[in-house]
Amino acid sequence: MAPQDGLWYKDAVIYQVHVRAFFDSSGDGNGDFRGLAQKLDYLQELGVTAIWLMPFFPSPLRDDGYDIADYRSVNPTYGQLEDFKSFLDAAHERGIRVIIELVLNHTSNQHPWFLESRSSQTNPRRDWYVWSDTDTRYKGTRIIFLDTELSNWAWDPVSKQYYWHRFFSHQPDLNYDNPKVREEMWDVMKFWLQMGVDAFRLDAVPYLVEREGTNCENLPETHQIIKDLRARLDTEFPGRMLLAEANQWPTDLRAYFGTGDEFNMAFHFPLMPRMFMALKLEDRKPITEILKQTPEIPENCQWCLFLRNHDELTLEMVTDMERDYMYDEYAKEKSMRLNLGIRRRLAPLLDNDRRRIELMNGLLMSLPGTPIIYYGDEIGMGDNVNLGDRHGVRTPMQWDGSWNGGFSTADPEVLYSPLMLNPVYGYQAINVQSQKRFEHSLLSWMKRLIRIRKATPTLGRGSIQFLYPANHRVLAYMRKLGNETILAVNNLSSKAQAVELDLKPYKGNILVEMFGRNIFPRIGDLPYLLTLGPYQFYWFRLRRI
Amino acid sequence: MPAESILSDDFIRELMNVGDVDIVVGVPTYNAARTVGQVVQAVRAGLLKYFPRERSVIINADGGSRDGTQDLVRAAAISDLSATSDIHALRTLHSISTQYENGPANGVALHTILAASDLLQARACAIVSPESTTLEPEWIERLLRPVFRDGKDLVLPVYRRHKFDGLLIRNLVYPMAKALYGCSVREPYPADFSFSAELGSRFLEQDVWNQEQGRYGTELWMTLWAANAKCKLAQMFLGAKTRREDAPSDLVAAMRETAGTLFCSLEAYSSVWRSSPQLVPAPCSGCEAAISEEHSRLNRKRLHDMFTFGVKELDPVFLSILTPPTHERLKELAELPEDKFAYAGELWARTVYEFAVAYQKAVIGRDHIVQALVPLFRGRAYTFLTENRDASAEMVEQNIEILCQAFEKEKPTLIDLWDGRK
Amino acid sequence: MWQGFIAELSRTMDEILRSFGRFLPRFLEMLLLVVVGGIIAFVLSAIVRSILRLARFDKLSEHTGAAHLLRRTALPSPTEMLARFVFWVAWIGFILVAVSVLPVPWLWPHISDFFVFLPRLIAAVFIVFFGLLGATFFSRAALLGGVNADVPSPRLISQTLRVMIIFFVISLAFEFVGVGSRTVLIAFSLTFGALMLGLAIAFGLGGKELAKKYLERRFAREQYPREARHEHEDELSPL
Repeated sequence: MAPQDGLWYKDAVIYQVHVRAFFDSSGDGNGDFRGLAQKLDYLQELGVTAIWLMPFFPSPLRDDGYDIADYRSVNPTYGQLEDFKSFLDAAHERGIRVIIELVLNHTSNQHPWFLESRSSQTNPRRDWYVWSDTDTRYKGTRIIFLDTELSNWAWDPVSKQYYWHRFFSHQPDLNYDNPKVREEMWDVMKFWLQMGVDAFRLDAVPYLVEREGTNCENLPETHQIIKDLRARLDTEFPGRMLLAEANQWPTDLRAYFGTGDEFNMAFHFPLMPRMFMALKLEDRKPITEILKQTPEIPENCQWCLFLRNHDELTLEMVTDMERDYMYDEYAKEKSMRLNLGIRRRLAPLLDNDRRRIELMNGLLMSLPGTPIIYYGDEIGMGDNVNLGDRHGVRTPMQWDGSWNGGFSTADPEVLYSPLMLNPVYGYQAINVQSQKRFEHSLLSWMKRLIRIRKATPTLGRGSIQFLYPANHRVLAYMRKLGNETILAVNNLSSKAQAVELDLKPYKGNILVEMFGRNIFPRIGDLPYLLTLGPYQFYWFRLRRI
Repeated sequence: MPAESILSDDFIRELMNVGDVDIVVGVPTYNAARTVGQVVQAVRAGLLKYFPRERSVIINADGGSRDGTQDLVRAAAISDLSATSDIHALRTLHSISTQYENGPANGVALHTILAASDLLQARACAIVSPESTTLEPEWIERLLRPVFRDGKDLVLPVYRRHKFDGLLIRNLVYPMAKALYGCSVREPYPADFSFSAELGSRFLEQDVWNQEQGRYGTELWMTLWAANAKCKLAQMFLGAKTRREDAPSDLVAAMRETAGTLFCSLEAYSSVWRSSPQLVPAPCSGCEAAISEEHSRLNRKRLHDMFTFGVKELDPVFLSILTPPTHERLKELAELPEDKFAYAGELWARTVYEFAVAYQKAVIGRDHIVQALVPLFRGRAYTFLTENRDASAEMVEQNIEILCQAFEKEKPTLIDLWDGRK
Repeated sequence: MWQGFIAELSRTMDEILRSFGRFLPRFLEMLLLVVVGGIIAFVLSAIVRSILRLARFDKLSEHTGAAHLLRRTALPSPTEMLARFVFWVAWIGFILVAVSVLPVPWLWPHISDFFVFLPRLIAAVFIVFFGLLGATFFSRAALLGGVNADVPSPRLISQTLRVMIIFFVISLAFEFVGVGSRTVLIAFSLTFGALMLGLAIAFGLGGKELAKKYLERRFAREQYPREARHEHEDELSPL
């Protein structure tokens, strides 16, 4: 492992993967840690510098592992704790860091803590969860899973009280007003940190604490809990990192960075739907507007950017008008919609249009933040909207055109999820092996993109300054770090565009296109005229020679 | 001259930045700073409310204003550069402006907007007058929706107007256009209207833009052209249209724009009006209650005086325009005292037709012929005001229809005169 | 004596006959020239007429507004006018050439004078022609403008304008021809001055009452509605 750089996450390219979906080494139909370890060479070749693992703890799997039944162990389906350790070491050997998920807010209702807590109203662990005689407390709190839940309270027939749950009713919320709970959760984190885990993605952060008369989100008490955790982390495990999952507006999210003493990174949720919206509208306005509204963050903090992830493309952070537009344009069929979002993968969202996929990945890698690639999107995998919940975007990784797409040797019937079989997105059409063979495949292109991104720290750490050319179909910005200046010009339109850029402050520089390293005319007094093909983008390095 | 060359290089650059659009809203202006700001704001509100997803642009063609009209139009733009945080728009909305040469002339402004709209491949184009101060956001929807939804080619407005507003339209343009071409739209010379991309392109192809009708009265020319080309017309009730208190009422200019254009059209469409044309269908939605009956303060006596004065003074001019019997009847009319004065529909229709023929034969300068009609029109206006002083909306409508019938009845006279049989 | 008389007479007769014999062929020559010239002039005018018709000269002059003015002055169409003009100029030219054949030496300088004078004459004719057209056009424009602007006595204004233009044009034409240019200029100045003086006197002294009436009418017309427009009265709304 390279010497610890405290800000390593700023230059990272993160690959999000579900152990269960990646590779099955045991032949039982589920992916496992041994399988994941075997595929580390592939990830190293792809160029990613960190892996973000979705929950792999023992769980009844009623919410894809986000309902944890034991924080200190590995779900036996994925292997033993030893297998995880070997995987961790193998990743570190290849210079790949590992980020794991931790659900702080709630446990599974099968977790021993909850079983104890509900056993009687007098149980010592009773106050580890939030109990109430009525279901009328915290009235001002919204319900997140509108499609399945009617209330944030659920009746427990055993102990004859209601318990609080912000998500599914089988996921009771832990009571963070209880110091014992806080201490226990730090112990859990310490357990994994000592093993060598590099970072935690903390799930459902804004909901830790409840207070009457509030919406029970982003409360100061919640922030205090995170500050405590971060302080302990920095003292005992320097160089490790906390990543926040909080689906909030940037101004609300800003608080989770504190003064650089809470989270190191947080997801920029509102940006993602706006990137898709801008592409469909062929208008840069949604992107520039949301980034204008994005507050400055402390020097040691970073945004996390993503195009797609294991959840639906969430439309909570858009207006009603924008949501309707997004539904009509990206999810015409009802089955594609879930909660307030769209459960589809990148390639199908973009009509499997290579130019649009490239443009979106280009934006992901050049806008300020650390990019996350969702497994399978590097080869353009499809989704299956006929599977329930969000399972449609969690189908097995497609390695080759052979049995089960190379994912598992088990009978197809026992796979945890059906494979993609259709002629467009099925494993015989889209798989790693076939794309490895061709220099112009999406996979090969993604490798080049990641390589350039990694070789250009400015893209990870630099400042951003938007140019506002009169042609609103073109999104152009400068990224600057020290002496290096990068110009990114993106055509969001399906048609060729001409654009005049005001580059007067950079007069005398030559533009060097970063993919082909060809030089473009020197910047003069006149507006710099560029023409871009449909969905084309350029990255230029400015050089003064 | 190719259509594009009327657009300046700077304007082309602006159009390039706008790119292809779905909707163009054109605003022809000349020193309209007093009202144009309010109008474009309402247009913008209409576009945002009713066409939030369509790509739209507001295009101002200005005749050389020096009062900041152009800046007011440009201020309606919504982009990521301008800080209009209170307005929520899905898209960038461009609001651009250009000054055409040899202005002001509404026709040139329309030509500019048409050419721009054609370049931008707009599916629909609406034109709004900067003087339509009562314009509501809904007007934009009503004007554009029929083009989008029902595939209409030309959508003309219907306003709630005072019964004595638009006298020239009601006494000349409407009855004559209806009698000759079966074009029975209420506002054949519209201030606010819209048309489809296809019709816009066909307008552009016409050889009219270097002629008089391509400068003044162009809206009327468009209506007549569309009606005679059997385009799909529709009428939409928009709302009240009030006149500006100090609005100039240059009757001579108005006569040039309307009568001049109408007379000119006779030659082009002679085959249409010689036969008996069917009524061009122009369904109207919400056209009831289009007439308001508030008290009017028009000075009728002055109209009468100017008629008699005109008939007397212009005697030598009428000699070469009118047939002797008509001339005689007008002279007799001019002798009548005010209380007995009545310029009947038939005589008026005949007068107009004789003027039209004189215009076609250019017995004297055509512009002089049109000017000579002005004093006579005042006489007709006097009669219209008298007839309808206490009339209800329905009665006014009836009286206008009776006038239409008079124009219909006198059509053989027109044909005879046209063929030189009288 | 008688014989002498007879001889003298016959000699004279002889002389006359001889002179006549000398003159007759020339005269016949002249007649022939006149007739042939007439024919040529006719052909020329016919050619001009057809060329102008082919070139749609009438239509052209209609656009410039000349044709209606011609009709208004009860003159034939521009094509006809030009054709006739060509005919007469050509024929007169031939007649003069024919006359010069005759042994009348004192006529010759006058004839050559005529040919020198001819272009000026043509120019003068054109000036008068278009001047008259202009006078009609502008006077009618003034009349219509006056009536529609509700100016008092538009006809008087129109006629005055017409007379002034005609005077001006005629003096210009004479200037061109070079005949009595001073006289005409003086006449024009006198008329114009007299007119102005007359008007001044009329309005100032003699026609005090009349002038008063005019002014009253004018101001009554203009002032009353202007006040009224703001307070009691609407403007006519044509469109």
